Amino acid sequence: MNSENTRITALFEDDSLAAEAIRAIKNAGWRISDVHGPIPSHEISGALGIKKSGVGWFTLCGGVIGFFLGYFLAVFTAARWGLMVSGKPVLSYIPFFIVGFEFTILFAVLGNVLGLILLIRLPAYRDLPHIAPACSADRFGVVVDFGDSDKDEARRFLTNLGAEVPESSDRETES
Amino acid sequence: MEKLSFKEIDNTVAATLDPPGRFYWTVIGLLFCGILVGAFCWAWQIMVGIGAGGQNSPVNWGTYLINFVFWVGIAHSGTLISAILYLLRAEWRNPIARAAETMTVFAVCTAGLFPFIHLGRVWMVYYMLPIPNDRTLWPNFQSPLMFDVVAIGTYLIVSVLFWYTGMLPDLAAIRDRASGTRKKVFSVLSLGWTGRFEQWRHYSRGYLLFAALATPLVISVHSVVSWDFALGVIPGWHTTIFAPYFVAGAIHSGLAMVLTLMIPMRRIFGAQRIITMHVLESVAKTIVFTGLIVGFAYGTEYFIAWYSRNSVEMEVFTFRSAGDFTLSYWIMVVCNSMVPLLFFFRRIRTSIVWLFGISILVNIGMWFERFVIIISSVAHDFLPNAWGQYAPTAIEYGIMLGSFSLFFFLFFLFVKHLPAISMTEMKELQHQGMTHE
Repeated sequence: MNSENTRITALFEDDSLAAEAIRAIKNAGWRISDVHGPIPSHEISGALGIKKSGVGWFTLCGGVIGFFLGYFLAVFTAARWGLMVSGKPVLSYIPFFIVGFEFTILFAVLGNVLGLILLIRLPAYRDLPHIAPACSADRFGVVVDFGDSDKDEARRFLTNLGAEVPESSDRETES
Repeated sequence: MEKLSFKEIDNTVAATLDPPGRFYWTVIGLLFCGILVGAFCWAWQIMVGIGAGGQNSPVNWGTYLINFVFWVGIAHSGTLISAILYLLRAEWRNPIARAAETMTVFAVCTAGLFPFIHLGRVWMVYYMLPIPNDRTLWPNFQSPLMFDVVAIGTYLIVSVLFWYTGMLPDLAAIRDRASGTRKKVFSVLSLGWTGRFEQWRHYSRGYLLFAALATPLVISVHSVVSWDFALGVIPGWHTTIFAPYFVAGAIHSGLAMVLTLMIPMRRIFGAQRIITMHVLESVAKTIVFTGLIVGFAYGTEYFIAWYSRNSVEMEVFTFRSAGDFTLSYWIMVVCNSMVPLLFFFRRIRTSIVWLFGISILVNIGMWFERFVIIISSVAHDFLPNAWGQYAPTAIEYGIMLGSFSLFFFLFFLFVKHLPAISMTEMKELQHQGMTHE
């Protein structure tokens, strides 16, 4: 059975105000669907209970793979030459660390980018029509699911928390 | 720092993207002509052979290598500002970080052209890639030139990714202000960034890791470039001081280029409230620091040559300061290690004219530093009967003109079509200022 779901975007000028509002909305039993902002904010992250990102694991894996790949490449290519010069060993283990180091950085960065793409889920063009443009400029937008509550009552609640609630911010979705 | 609202920051940066006037297109046109001159000279060299340049025994590395090292050096301050100063939480970096990063990307691209140019037979470039060539031989990673391929390649890829990742939130901000075709273009470029806190959570962490990885990379890259010389058994090159000496010199030249670019940019775009005098002054103070390191390195080279009692080493350094390249040597010393000391005076480091003038002199001095290092040692090495001379030919000057034109052409295109000041970092800076009060 489908029921109508009222979703409203409340815009806040300040992140501390938005963080307080997030706590109040949660206490009132409504669900925060999303929060958007022009800059990251520790206060909002704290209010949302956001945990540390796991992107570092991708970076670490990339770095480890990169080091061994670079070092192996240098060893492999030198072994393919097999040319002894001035009686020195064919494999120069110490200078090969330079190649290993550069590959470590390269693959760590590639791992980092891969992690960001996978975790942020970019590209994400499908979200674009639903965001308030002010959220990339100077407002923090809190998108709240009010379920089947009265729309006017929900708007009043948000306004009392210090939010601007533009008319166009209402969305009705089916759940 | 002056208080700016988020809206004022957006408006200032968005104004830089307004359709440019006739002056802008005239400059772009002139720079494009410079690129054509460079391209013609390179094409001529490919047609008639590498002898079209003045490089010949004993000076086989001429302006192509000088310009290569010069542009890699210019690239370094971008990463210093965007990564090292980010980790050190130096707030003055925020207004110029984007432009400096952009400078890095275009400088590495320009630098990367010179090994191709110097190859002569440019179609053989794949010999440098880690694949077997037509005689099933692999490149040999015992050579510092191969270290260089790996280091510069890594630096280019990392710089581009770092630059683009940092720009995502700003591209989204421009998208949300734009309409029509511009909106469509910026929608694609911003990859659907919406500023969700779930996105910020990963982004902030990822950006920090980027900075942490770019920091050792930037130090390693110019160290590797220095080993192109230091691993060669040539008097004046074969020293352990080269890596830190090159890194400091690179940052020195890069910071000077930051001033050279930022001073006109802030005036043309009316961005004086964002790129404030405090920012320029901080760059000037850092130039004093790097200038002192570079001066110390010049002195150390002489001291070690004297202290070693090595006659060849002493002869090379005497030749540098009192031989055929005396003028180049003293331009280097005066412009790099003496002129920047004027920034000790507050009146000078807060004067736009002095800042701009000294930045140009440091750029010139740093170009001559590479000239002196690369030319004088091989022109005057162990055996007097092998000594020689070197002077660039018109073809080399043409290619050099082309490289400078290409760099400024790309940079000028960038500042008018993409956000040249990081709106997000400026907002974060303002936000921190507000909350710390």
